Amino acid sequence: MEKFCEDIEQMLVDYADGKLSPSDSSMVAEHLATCEHCRMLLNGLQKSLELAGVIWADSLAETEHILIPAAKTKKIRRPRYAAIAASFLLVATASVVWHTLTRPRESKLTFADIERKISESGGAAQLLAAAELLSDNPEAENIVKQQYQYIVETYPQTSSAIKAKSKMQ
Amino acid sequence: MSSSIILIDGRTPRRIGCRQVDEISVDFAVELNHAAGERLSEPSLMDVLSAELWRLRRIIAGMGLSASDSEDVLQDVSIQALKQSRNGSQTALPSREDNVKWLIKVTVNRCLMEHRRRRTFRRYASEILKRRLETKKASKPADEKAIVAEELEIVRESLQKLDDSLLSPIVLRYFCDLNSKEIGEILALSPSAVRSRLREARMILAKGLLERGLEP
Repeated sequence: MEKFCEDIEQMLVDYADGKLSPSDSSMVAEHLATCEHCRMLLNGLQKSLELAGVIWADSLAETEHILIPAAKTKKIRRPRYAAIAASFLLVATASVVWHTLTRPRESKLTFADIERKISESGGAAQLLAAAELLSDNPEAENIVKQQYQYIVETYPQTSSAIKAKSKMQ
Repeated sequence: MSSSIILIDGRTPRRIGCRQVDEISVDFAVELNHAAGERLSEPSLMDVLSAELWRLRRIIAGMGLSASDSEDVLQDVSIQALKQSRNGSQTALPSREDNVKWLIKVTVNRCLMEHRRRRTFRRYASEILKRRLETKKASKPADEKAIVAEELEIVRESLQKLDDSLLSPIVLRYFCDLNSKEIGEILALSPSAVRSRLREARMILAKGLLERGLEP
């Protein structure tokens, strides 16, 4: 391999990615026209990336079904927590909607308020479910307590906060 | 809620996937809070985790983990995120961008543990091609498929043997579409160091093919 080929090799990846300046790109193209070794290497760069893409895509298809632990059931073996969290969310949502529909007209509750309350209730329920998952692990006792405290302080108006409070007691 | 988002965002429903809806939902919630006269707040780490799950899955897949190991990694990342959000609540709130970078960093590090144990890229090229044929109904001649399988196996082995300092940059760059600057921020490297590692990784994969008989 010529010394010049070694210099070209340094630029070949950027050339393949289209990241070279026009002048460098022209220089590499001129060299490629006359050097079979570098042409082969460029072909290898392109083909290997293409094949890596096939491997990555196959792997991605395998992971598409995986949910974050709070929502999955098999691995953590605590399906009831997901159901409890969903129930809290449903009750909280129904409660907010009921209050919205039945409150006097002079009230200025906006859609933004409803959205925020739903978001808070959902967040609190999610954190509560996660804390309950962790509560099975004795080493996580302090973390769980602090998590309950956090829910009570951050989402005081939610049903999850009431439940977290009772858990703390 | 989805339809409201789409209308406000001005996009047609058929062009919006789950990923975009997740991202828009987080932004929309922040905007709604702002519109309601509240302090403009950043989404929490757990919100970001939900919205960025697609990206974490992509990283894990790029690192070549099996489905069960992927599940373990996501579980670890979400528990770490939970702990981090607890710690973060006692200090200043980080930005959404910081949260995303933190999640990617934790995910990459966790995946690299599996890579060091050589628990990555364990599915043989023949399995990959079989699945590919089943899903895409490819109709290539048998001899051409054999060549592709051989080449695919070479790349798979090269990826499996790739040093972890090279694997994470190549996955983040070519499978997750991050640029050198973003990758450098996540891996604590300069952009030029990232580019250098990308060149090295690409050359290893290419030369692996050439040394074992890639046809010109």
